[in-house]
Amino acid sequence: MALNHPLAQMISLGCACGYAVQVEGKKAVLFCLKFCLPIMLTAAVFNPAFSHEGVTILLYFPTGNPLTLESICYGLSAGIMIAAVMLWFLNFNRVITSDKFVYLFGRIIPALSLVLSMTLRFVPKFKAQMNTVIDAQRNIGRDISNGTIWQRIKIAVTVFSIMLTWSLENAIETADSMKSRGYGLKGRTAFSIYCFEERDKLAIGYLLFCVFYLLCGTFGSAFGFRFFPDIRCAPITPITVSFHIVYLGMCGLPMILNAIEEKKWKAIHSNM
Amino acid sequence: MKRLISLLLTAVVLVTFCACAGNFAKIDLQEAVTIPDNGLIEKDIIEQIKTQNAIATFVGESNGIPYEWTIFGSDITQPKDLNLLISVEEAEQEANITFAQQEAFGFPVLLSVHLNALWDTQSATAYLGEQPVASVSLTGTDATILNLGLEETVEKFVVRPDVEPEKAVIPDVTKPEPEESSQQQPEKQPEQTKQQVAAPVDDYLSDVKESNDRVYSDGKTEDDRVYSDGKDTEKDQYLTDPVPEGKPMTVEPENQVIDKRKTYTCTFSIECSTILNNLEDLDPDKLEMVPSNGTILAKTEVEFYEGESVYDVLQRVCRENSIHMEASWTPIYNSSYVEGIHNLYEFDCGSLSGWMYRVDGWYPNYGCSRYQLKDGERVEWRYTCDLGNDVGGRNLF
Repeated sequence: MALNHPLAQMISLGCACGYAVQVEGKKAVLFCLKFCLPIMLTAAVFNPAFSHEGVTILLYFPTGNPLTLESICYGLSAGIMIAAVMLWFLNFNRVITSDKFVYLFGRIIPALSLVLSMTLRFVPKFKAQMNTVIDAQRNIGRDISNGTIWQRIKIAVTVFSIMLTWSLENAIETADSMKSRGYGLKGRTAFSIYCFEERDKLAIGYLLFCVFYLLCGTFGSAFGFRFFPDIRCAPITPITVSFHIVYLGMCGLPMILNAIEEKKWKAIHSNM
Repeated sequence: MKRLISLLLTAVVLVTFCACAGNFAKIDLQEAVTIPDNGLIEKDIIEQIKTQNAIATFVGESNGIPYEWTIFGSDITQPKDLNLLISVEEAEQEANITFAQQEAFGFPVLLSVHLNALWDTQSATAYLGEQPVASVSLTGTDATILNLGLEETVEKFVVRPDVEPEKAVIPDVTKPEPEESSQQQPEKQPEQTKQQVAAPVDDYLSDVKESNDRVYSDGKTEDDRVYSDGKDTEKDQYLTDPVPEGKPMTVEPENQVIDKRKTYTCTFSIECSTILNNLEDLDPDKLEMVPSNGTILAKTEVEFYEGESVYDVLQRVCRENSIHMEASWTPIYNSSYVEGIHNLYEFDCGSLSGWMYRVDGWYPNYGCSRYQLKDGERVEWRYTCDLGNDVGGRNLF
């Protein structure tokens, strides 16, 4: 049950974009231009090639099927949705580090959260180790970028086999080390610098209210929007607008919190 | 205090939830209303349908024959009192409908009469005396449903099935010509029949089994169409069951030869009146795409070039009349498959729904790209909600 109201989508995309720029700076802008924009455009181009529903016929394809305004809009909307999801996950990855993840879920689902954080950590670790192995192999004269294809494949297979052994060994080692430290046992405490404060309560309350309010809105079709057969949306009334405002308030929360923190930090600085 | 706040909050949200529900601007399909004994539907109700832009159905019964009126709010120009009572008398291949409404409706309404019998025919006409006044669309799976689009009223209609023009040729020459039907038809009928009967004669004598499908191909008549002898028992390479005896054989699109010097005419119509019998199954988003009389394209004369298939003509007709149409090429059936016309798609009205085509009263059992049209044929595209059973294509599947 995704929101396909363009206004809600723009709110989501805008907030995700804004937060990414706040957190990552220039890199996020680059990511937007390099990945999100092309995805949006491809969806807008490809959807009408396969879907021909809609009442507004713009022109005809050589196959005889119509190109409709509605299918282009639908493609664009789907593209915006994918872009927004990607950006939100980018932000999530940046903010929720693995120690936070284990802190949150280490008690409830110890095995799964360990596995998850290990796999998430595994990819960059594997990459780094592979580079080390490739460099080491190069130094003893087995360069992947040299020689005939057959030779290259042979070297690559060697590197792969080394990596496989290493990753298995690494996993066992990690598991053993976690076990010997008593991970997941009853009564074991974990050090963390987080504590549940009054402001956290406030934030949770606020988010719960937003989620509940928005769920009511989606069930009450305040976000109603359809693309086929013609584009139509729920009427704009104070009530429907209020849902969009609440949605903006929810999506914009991380951005607002970040800005407040920064302001506080700067204020402390100038006082010293 | 805290509890009070949370309670208040919940109340506020619930209120907004209720206020918002159903706010989405769509056509509203109202529940069927039973027609009162005196048949009178008051102006207020019609006015309401108009202002709500709803689709309303009124059901009644006469002599054990149920009928229903479908009124589209968007059609209503001037609301007024209506008397929707009718009396139906069903006879053998005939239905007499007497209306209680005296003056004209002033806006189009649709009357569907659920007869008890299943008429073995493809179309029907409403007559006033002997004068044909309206064509009636027949639907219904087990029993015929007459669908009449009305605007004017007259006291009495007689609905009689049309006698199908006996164009389909029975290749068996030993059989006498179907006498009865050709007599009732206009003069040109016998000529055609003879012509086509002539073709099979040659072939019947020639060796049948060797030459695969194209049995009658060397029938040297003006009509070079190949007809099925009904002897094939196996499916062809495109998973199509054998073409019934006397029906035109498929012409594969890759063998199509279009001669643009010769133009012919055929009649074309696109209709979906069976949706009006099953409005409750229709995707609510599609309600406004359904024309109130069920006719998307009224019967029109269309020109086409020699050698064109039904699909080619459909595509051109839709484009010329700016009717939306989507089709996809389906290699396993070697034909285009029409997914949707006028934004009414397959599966929009139940899982057994979709578009079918009928040529001269017969639903071909192969795709529309493989049916080569001939001069004067009558092509009907009809929406079905029951795999063709409700539009007279009973024996197809």
